[in-house]
Amino acid sequence: MLLEPDVKFIKEIESLGGDTLKKCFQCATCSVACPISPDNKPFPRKEMIAASWGLKDRVVKNADIWLCHNCGDCSTLCPRGAKPGDVLAALRMYAIKEYAFPKKLGEMVSDPSKLPILLAIPFIIFLIVGMVCNMFVDPNWLCFSPGGDEIVHSHFFNSWLVDLIFVPLSLCVVAVFARGGYQFLNDIHQNAVLEGKTDKKELDLLGIAQAFPKVVLKILKHEKFDQCGENQSRSTPHMLVLFGFIGLFIVTSIFFVVLYGFQTHGPYSQFNPVKWLANISGIALVMGGLVMLKERISQDTSKQISTYKDWSLIGLVLALGLSGLLTEMTRLGELAALSYGLYYIHLVFVFCLFAYLPFSKLAHLFYRTLAMTYSEYANRQ
Amino acid sequence: MDKKFGFYICSGCGIGEAVNTEWIMDNVPKEEGYSNCTVHPFLCSKEGVDIINQDIKEKGVNTIVIGACSRRVNYDVFKFSGCILERVNLREQVVWSHARPEGWTMPEEVNEDEPDHLQMMAEDYFRMGMVRCEKVSLPVPYKLDAKSDKILIIGGGITGMQAALDASKAGYASTIIEKDGQLGGYAAKVRKQLPIQAPYDQLISPIVQQKIKAVESDSNISIKTSTVVARIAGQPGDFTVTLKAPGEKIEFDVPDPVPPEMRVDEKGKDLEKEKLDEIYKKINEGKADILKLDPNGEKFGAVILTAGWRPYEPAKDEFSHLGYGAIKDVVTNTAFEAIAKNGKIVRPSDGKEAKSVVFIQSPGQGKDDDFSYCGSVTSMVTLKQAKYVREDYSDDGKAFVFYQHMRTPGLSENFYKAMQQDPGIFMSKGDITSVTQDGDSLMVEAKDTLLGESVQVKADMVVLATGMVPVTHDDPVVNLAYRQGPGFRDIGLFDDYVDSNFICFPYETQRTGIYAAGAIRRSLTMEESMEDATGATLKAIQCLKSVDRGEAVHPRAGDQTFPDFFFQRCTQCKRCTEECPFGALDDDEKGTPKPNPTRCRRCGTCMGACPERIINFADYSIDSIGSMVKCIKVPSEDDFDEPPLRILVFLCENDAYPAMDMAGMNRMQWHHDVRFIPVRCLGSVNTIWIKDALSQGMDGVLYIGCKHGDDYQCHFVKGSELAEIRKSKISDALASLALEEERVAMFEIAIDEYDKLPKIINTFMEEVEALGPNPFKGF
Repeated sequence: MLLEPDVKFIKEIESLGGDTLKKCFQCATCSVACPISPDNKPFPRKEMIAASWGLKDRVVKNADIWLCHNCGDCSTLCPRGAKPGDVLAALRMYAIKEYAFPKKLGEMVSDPSKLPILLAIPFIIFLIVGMVCNMFVDPNWLCFSPGGDEIVHSHFFNSWLVDLIFVPLSLCVVAVFARGGYQFLNDIHQNAVLEGKTDKKELDLLGIAQAFPKVVLKILKHEKFDQCGENQSRSTPHMLVLFGFIGLFIVTSIFFVVLYGFQTHGPYSQFNPVKWLANISGIALVMGGLVMLKERISQDTSKQISTYKDWSLIGLVLALGLSGLLTEMTRLGELAALSYGLYYIHLVFVFCLFAYLPFSKLAHLFYRTLAMTYSEYANRQ
Repeated sequence: MDKKFGFYICSGCGIGEAVNTEWIMDNVPKEEGYSNCTVHPFLCSKEGVDIINQDIKEKGVNTIVIGACSRRVNYDVFKFSGCILERVNLREQVVWSHARPEGWTMPEEVNEDEPDHLQMMAEDYFRMGMVRCEKVSLPVPYKLDAKSDKILIIGGGITGMQAALDASKAGYASTIIEKDGQLGGYAAKVRKQLPIQAPYDQLISPIVQQKIKAVESDSNISIKTSTVVARIAGQPGDFTVTLKAPGEKIEFDVPDPVPPEMRVDEKGKDLEKEKLDEIYKKINEGKADILKLDPNGEKFGAVILTAGWRPYEPAKDEFSHLGYGAIKDVVTNTAFEAIAKNGKIVRPSDGKEAKSVVFIQSPGQGKDDDFSYCGSVTSMVTLKQAKYVREDYSDDGKAFVFYQHMRTPGLSENFYKAMQQDPGIFMSKGDITSVTQDGDSLMVEAKDTLLGESVQVKADMVVLATGMVPVTHDDPVVNLAYRQGPGFRDIGLFDDYVDSNFICFPYETQRTGIYAAGAIRRSLTMEESMEDATGATLKAIQCLKSVDRGEAVHPRAGDQTFPDFFFQRCTQCKRCTEECPFGALDDDEKGTPKPNPTRCRRCGTCMGACPERIINFADYSIDSIGSMVKCIKVPSEDDFDEPPLRILVFLCENDAYPAMDMAGMNRMQWHHDVRFIPVRCLGSVNTIWIKDALSQGMDGVLYIGCKHGDDYQCHFVKGSELAEIRKSKISDALASLALEEERVAMFEIAIDEYDKLPKIINTFMEEVEALGPNPFKGF
């Protein structure tokens, strides 16, 4: 194999939190220590040398970096302080950027100085689209003085306006993922064949689809997380946040169907079971986010570090949950102006969640699931 | 000196319970001067020592025999200046290693029918001590008439300069001679140098200019550039040195020895002595004999050799698979350093920037070896040069290192870590299969890499980590006017690095008074070389001080004896001159040895070699040991129905004797029929002692000494090897006496192998028992 190390790639991985990368001296303690690494061609030793040699394609187009759940057992036991856990996390961030489109947006998402711009984008889009719609469709789609006895958020920010923005946005996100996902699957398969990690010759999408339910079950049960030694406590907050998101996704879907199917508008009564689910999910999201925050703040940086992408995701989770719950509470407390303002902010965060999903750390939801599904399909145990 | 004896036995430590100390004392002849006999239960106590001191003071005792513990313990307690002292080892070698059976009680009277082995052994040893004391005399130190304290330093590189500075700090004047026109050596030819102080992780600018300034401004140091040694004559403390310009031919150039190919005739037979002398004279026409001193020569007391190294020159086609010689951009590390010193790193072929450089540490081809004359320094230099690439091209410069061994000892591990941390330095173990030209660049192929597969790397340049050849490989450098030749004797173990057993005796060469430091000794970094220089300087100063006191320098530091020749009986056989491991003896035209006592290390190899037995030391002689052998009682059938055997063991006192003590301290048991005689070195064992032993009826003789060979541990380099050769030569003599040659055997042990000793002795005992008793018993 012709080696053409990419020095720029190494420097970038180092800047993404993998600055210990070159310390590796190939003792393979990490591969032995890892509780979830497969026996055949175990990670992360081979990823460590390939990364320290700047062999970008080998590590970025590689399912194994996604099988890692960043338990940190390897980093704790590494005799050289090379922190393979952090290096693999950095590689995943690099891979997210690599598969996302447009790349420019990806760079902005990973740059803390661009955060105000990213937040300003939805803020301004809402205003512009709202004004335009007010002018040409209905003057009350974005109404700054809804009035009325009851606080109804759709009187301020019309549901049509919400969907006008969010439905196309979701489609865009799906398209970006579809594009990246297809490329990703092909790449990791090629890599698996090259490195002898699979017995499958051709990539069979049907086979992958069949493996999917099994993997989803594993993910929901947090099986891999529970095998971790060093960082097992992460399992619970992750579960809270994941189930929170799932709950809210279900609630939103029900809203959508009820709105368009039965023409029933919110807000729902507090006694409605859907509302119960919404409230529980919102609280789970905030609780999970807070525990994650606490753990990240108190963690031993000699074992594991937190990067901007870690902080920004926790921030987003908390912002989403808190702004949503506060919107609801202020609504119930009949603080109209505050509630409408919070709703606007909440929508801004929801936009961020959707729009920046393929570029943020949250994209692991997609790539890790895909990689785990592929590995299930490829008999990589 | 009139000897007045004092005999003391300690009955403590179990001695008194196992042997009858009174009976031992009964063997002391009760005549004039032999009357001071004391048995004390705790001789090493203050009271015990006071008794001896009182005898010295009041009764004039000056020759003391102490039967107690080993001489390797309590040597600071039993120390009596101006007295001859013999320590008889009754504790470790007798009672501790030969336990009395359970329930044994001391008999009232001697049992004439049954031998009491332990009692006999103790009596033998005490008698041997007594006899030795009768035969030896107090040494008189050898003092030189004229003595120089100046140190000659050969080589003005970083090592030599450091040596001169250290000598100056200790108050010693020195002269540095340098063959080049200026000081600095290789240290002045590098772009940067490896770290020399904590935290040892970054390259530093060369420090050589500071050193040059320091030596130039030091009044204790004189500097002679463009100067080499024509010859060094004389001995430590009194070397007469002739210096000259490089390439000059002068009368006092050292004579060359006759090369091996001229030592034989057409048929390959060794030439006769006269013929050899003729050839020697012919090839050295116009040169003064080694014994002729240069009247204009400069006097020095000791020499520090810091002449350093030269780059290894690969032979044509030696590394053809690496493209060396055929491809211009494949260079050695020294050539690469020259490029780096000159400016940015560019390719020799076309001057293009070399942004991708592959460093090869081992020639590969399935072999694990590095290049010849390599060491940790070549690994470190590779890391340094890899850093040059990164310094010159920080954005896209790439340095690849393929190694079999990456050696970064001690704190230089920090440097390795720092280099490893550079994003553009890539390292892997690997076996280089080929280097080929690939269009404009080079293609390097390696297998068995850390990446788990064979790899190819595109390179602008390839650098081979070739080694550092000591200059003594090409030239003796020191040009000693010694009969054994101008250089250090090559013992075939050190690839022409100046011989030094760097574990036991660093800096010491095979020539006393000449100490080596730096890359002439081993491939070393500048930091290591400077540390080496300090060590060698201290050794040189130790030598000057010892010469001043008339003592041996090392390894028998403080020994005031020296070989004394009874020249009237010398047959000019030259064996002593030739066999001396340190070239201490020269000889005149007739072949009569000329001793140079300050060159001597007092091993006694000459004493062991001399067929006329005319070489002796004041306290160690053919007669003293021979008399000890003869005073061992050998029981015959007249004494007992089944007389016990007697085996004599010559025990090297450097490793074997302390090992024997350790065996005794551990209460290991061995056969009671052996008698030990400690010797300075197996090389000093004269075969006459074997004959003495066997002709008086002893049944076998055993030599136990240090290891020789590749990892020799002989303190005198060649002693045990010579002993082995001499032992093999007496087989014929034994055969003429109708004795089996198996009766004489030799074993080599290291000091930590004490646990093997009892087994060695007992096995030999069984072999001798199988041969049966010596037929000469009782004659």
